[in-house]
Amino acid sequence: MNRSFLFFSLFFIHGSFLTLYAQEKLKKKIDLQEVMVDGKRYKNAMEGPLSVNYIHIDSLQKFQGGSLMQTLSRIPGVGSIGIGASQSKPQIRGLGFNRVITVENGVKHEGQQWGLDHGLEIDQYSVGSAEIIKGATSFMYGSDAIGGVIRLSSLKETQEDGLKGSLNLIAKSNNSTLGSSVQFIGKEGKFVFGGGLTHLNYGDYRVPTDTVYVYNYAVGLKDNYVRNTAGRETDFQLKGGYVTEKFSSIFYLSSYDTKIGFFANAHGLEPRGVNTALYDKSNRDILYPSQKVNHFKVINRNYIEKDDQKIWIDIGYQRNNRKEFNHYVAHGYMPAIFPDNMGIPEDLERLYDKDIYSINVKDQFTKGSHQITLGGSGEIQHNNIGGWGFLIPEYRQRSAGAFVHDQYSIDKNTILYAALRYDYNHNQSKAYRDWFESETADGAKEKILRADNISRTFNSLVWGLGVARQFGDIETKFNVGKSFRNPATQEFASNGVNYHYYSYDIGNKNLSPEQSYQADLSIGWRRETADITLTPFYNYFSNYIYLNPTSRFDQFHGAGNQIFEYSESKVRRFGGEINANFRLTKNWKLALLGEYVKSKQLSGAKKGYTLPFSPAPSVLIGLDWSPKISQYLNSTYFAIDCKWTAEQNNIVPPEDKSASYTLFNFRAGTDLKLNSSVVQLRFQIQNLLDTKYMDHTSFYRLIALPEQGRNIVLSARVPFGKN
Amino acid sequence: MNRISRSLLMLFFLTSVIACKKENERIDEEKPKIDLTAESAFPKQCSQIKRGESFNFQMHLSDNVALGSYSIDVHNNFDHHSHSTEVEECTLDPIKRPVKPFSIVKTMDIPGQPKDYVAQLKIDVPLDIDPGNYHFMVQVTDQSGWSTQRGISIRITE
Repeated sequence: MNRSFLFFSLFFIHGSFLTLYAQEKLKKKIDLQEVMVDGKRYKNAMEGPLSVNYIHIDSLQKFQGGSLMQTLSRIPGVGSIGIGASQSKPQIRGLGFNRVITVENGVKHEGQQWGLDHGLEIDQYSVGSAEIIKGATSFMYGSDAIGGVIRLSSLKETQEDGLKGSLNLIAKSNNSTLGSSVQFIGKEGKFVFGGGLTHLNYGDYRVPTDTVYVYNYAVGLKDNYVRNTAGRETDFQLKGGYVTEKFSSIFYLSSYDTKIGFFANAHGLEPRGVNTALYDKSNRDILYPSQKVNHFKVINRNYIEKDDQKIWIDIGYQRNNRKEFNHYVAHGYMPAIFPDNMGIPEDLERLYDKDIYSINVKDQFTKGSHQITLGGSGEIQHNNIGGWGFLIPEYRQRSAGAFVHDQYSIDKNTILYAALRYDYNHNQSKAYRDWFESETADGAKEKILRADNISRTFNSLVWGLGVARQFGDIETKFNVGKSFRNPATQEFASNGVNYHYYSYDIGNKNLSPEQSYQADLSIGWRRETADITLTPFYNYFSNYIYLNPTSRFDQFHGAGNQIFEYSESKVRRFGGEINANFRLTKNWKLALLGEYVKSKQLSGAKKGYTLPFSPAPSVLIGLDWSPKISQYLNSTYFAIDCKWTAEQNNIVPPEDKSASYTLFNFRAGTDLKLNSSVVQLRFQIQNLLDTKYMDHTSFYRLIALPEQGRNIVLSARVPFGKN
Repeated sequence: MNRISRSLLMLFFLTSVIACKKENERIDEEKPKIDLTAESAFPKQCSQIKRGESFNFQMHLSDNVALGSYSIDVHNNFDHHSHSTEVEECTLDPIKRPVKPFSIVKTMDIPGQPKDYVAQLKIDVPLDIDPGNYHFMVQVTDQSGWSTQRGISIRITE
């Protein structure tokens, strides 16, 4: 009821817009590349010597997946750690979690990146453009930017006065998604404004199997539905500001709100008994376990140009509130019955609540052939926890960084880049004691101290050196740099049991910031009918921090679970991507995309093993036909992607090997001319053959749950307002 | 100019060569095993245990290289929230509230890093504990940190 009401009211609101702004003249050409690897755009920027992929909203719509990272994962080198059909975490060249950062409108997005089953809290329909910067990017963004950066921007303001926008209607077959999103931007003199509203409502997703084997326990899936994975998402954005040629100040306000269920037959690795009569009653209800996440953000972006100085100041406030709900189940030494004097709801297993204040300042000026950028950043985080489960302690974190970047043009075709950055970080974590008594070695009972008051300060100095040079049609870029990541709180302070993973995780107080050295090369050859870009890289970590499963159990502190210790090891990684596009004839295009990454631990307890969540190599061949059909149907295309992913036999405990698979995706679309308006229709069949496969980097891989089956995605974008 | 391009190309080929170098270090990729099929294994899926008596936990553990340690954990499943890892379903009593549920957590190192080991423990079940559906969890690790879990449904009877 509710859903269809919203759906139609959105349609109705839009209808009134339509009559007001019905003079839509939409011109759109299909570029040779869906994803631009255009160096010129970044020639005079700090990203100059790095490989950058630029993705416009049109491509985002065309390739629309269940979540933003699934949409972006067609780009070679970009992957996602999927959590079901609607959530995912970013991964670049096999690095994810706290080793990749997401920046939205100039401010680093801070959620709960460390968590296995925490998705990226961003509304994909609000994104105007995305840039993927691969390589050592700590010199720009400080800690965590080891693997690279996903940089997202809102829709750009219009050049002329007026309002324009679009209504996006979305339907997906696999999990019966119904959704709509209105986005608009406008300008009135020097004032700009904009906003958006997105609502998605989806049911349980389906996999091409009726039985999943959680260990030997055969879980029957009713009509192939992955029990209890339905969800809702409601997001809004508002934007307003003042823009002149030499000054601008824009405020962005956004809220992301979602409630999603987790697969009910397994929580983590733990098989769960399920009352199937209750759970199979509806495919759209959300029972236990589930999560509720809200991410609220206010950003103020400022730009000031004075004489030859350009100054950027970005200020942000974010709040991330995450709740995980589940039936109380006594594990280990927990009391069999949940005490009623706890002051915690019985179904609140975990709560994470964090506030983040951040500021970034950049000043750019020219001195002779040098373009110099000075910058600084600061961030304060308050992290609170709640619920009866414990994984990470409360902590407060302060960090500050300063950098200098010099860009020197040797001649018209050659530019050198150099950067130096210093970062300071202070982390104060708060002691946490169990609320229940455990048995101790001497037979006594005690509430165990799970985390101590720990105060740690980290200092890091990183650098980057790069060159970009054009040789006729060939563009080359080379960059070497050092990146770093401060140990996350759970890595140095945790001492808790993750019952759903049968692990007792022990932090290491003495960990120092992770150091990574990376060399990146990019060779691009571009003609009107073809382009080929090769981007190999080599990466060395002198101390990669990871959670090492040991051969021991702990009877008392660990409640009988296997000890997992945060450890450091030397790691070597290398790989690369190929991104090639050919215009075969006027109407036919061919794309060849490939990615490869190999990691190896060179020291420590897991010497010889790879890193967890290593993506398997893959090759994608895409064929695209854009015929001219009629004057009422513009920019029509039919396309098919065939993606072959190799098996992943390089594993590390507790992973399983994953078999190779081939997936077909079909796409079609057209811009339908209706009176004076244009409706953009987009159609996709993802996993065309309903192939049953395991994605090695998926959260549910460990319990052998296959990925989403065939999914028909239909979306219609109805633009309104001035163009 | 030409020098730069040549050195860039060299670098590219060098990375490709490194990328193709074959390395033959042996790493352990096999998980240890818990054998529930042996005649002497106890408890098994749906086994019954009498309260007020003791029983012998016995299980054959094995690994391709070297075993590490094992752990057992017995918990009530009066609310049916846990599920065993096994094929066979056992009959469940109606959901009930625990009064004095039986629970035990025990971890043992396996001495001498053997490939095969028969784990044996004598477990006493007090007379005053709640009878009903219980969950018997066995975990074993090998020296590389691989682990295997088996969750067995058992019943404690009066």
